[in-house]
Amino acid sequence: MFRRRIRPARNRQGCELHLPPEERQLLASLPSQLQGVLDATESSRDVPDSLKRLFPPAYVRDDKSQASFREATRSELTASHRAALAVLAGTADSGRLDEEQMAAWMTALNDLRLVLGTVLQVTDEAVAADQGPQSSELVIYHYLTMLQSELIDVMERWLPEPVPGADDLVPDDPWGEPLGGLRWDGTPLPSWPPRPDL
Amino acid sequence: MMDARASTAPVEVERPDIDESVRLEHPWLVIVWNDPINLMNYVTYVFQKLFGYSREKAHRLMMDVHTKGRAVVSSGPQERAELDVARLHQHGLWATMEQSG
Repeated sequence: MFRRRIRPARNRQGCELHLPPEERQLLASLPSQLQGVLDATESSRDVPDSLKRLFPPAYVRDDKSQASFREATRSELTASHRAALAVLAGTADSGRLDEEQMAAWMTALNDLRLVLGTVLQVTDEAVAADQGPQSSELVIYHYLTMLQSELIDVMERWLPEPVPGADDLVPDDPWGEPLGGLRWDGTPLPSWPPRPDL
Repeated sequence: MMDARASTAPVEVERPDIDESVRLEHPWLVIVWNDPINLMNYVTYVFQKLFGYSREKAHRLMMDVHTKGRAVVSSGPQERAELDVARLHQHGLWATMEQSG
């Protein structure tokens, strides 16, 4: 029978981790590899290709605004990635996690998947054909996906109630469908912004 | 909570003299783009967590991202949009912003 590795704690405070030792070792060691890349590139202006998914652009048509956005957010963004990875490494051998640690695991697992997925050139939920079945990165990628899914299953139960009226703040598809139609206020669509290049 | 007296005593309000350029300024739209790595249930989770959307609304927005390639997930003044983009980036989502109009 399939046994979940991440189960809600009986008192509903956090979760229990049921992980075999070799998985705990893996989860303890992966963060330092990514932190090493973050360390090596923190002072450089450009983000290496493998980390582009961790530092996407906010402005795709305005280089000046993008430069100041990057300047204003990069150190905090780096710090949040780092903090989450540190929690994962530090609690990989724990029997349980509190909710704050679970949130950090969620971020860290996603960060690792973003970087691994970029390196593996994952496209539309398929993986590039030249990755053989023996690729350890691919096995790790799928393992992290499974673990993150279990974490989401537990954490989504604990989301706070929706904010009243929040659903009405943004129309479902303000750009119109199909593209090239009218906006929700009846005015013509501007040219659709180019998909950012990552 | 609205003051009861305020709600029962309508007052003729002088229309504030709003600068046309401010009034007509188009809001900024925060766009999340489809990507092959973020999980569908994770994207739904993040929309609920960050914006307080119902599960149904968050799911619809996620499906827009997944099937149409993008969805506008919030809008507002530039500073607000930058904050939302930064929070989405912290969660690993591929978000950009664009001024409407």
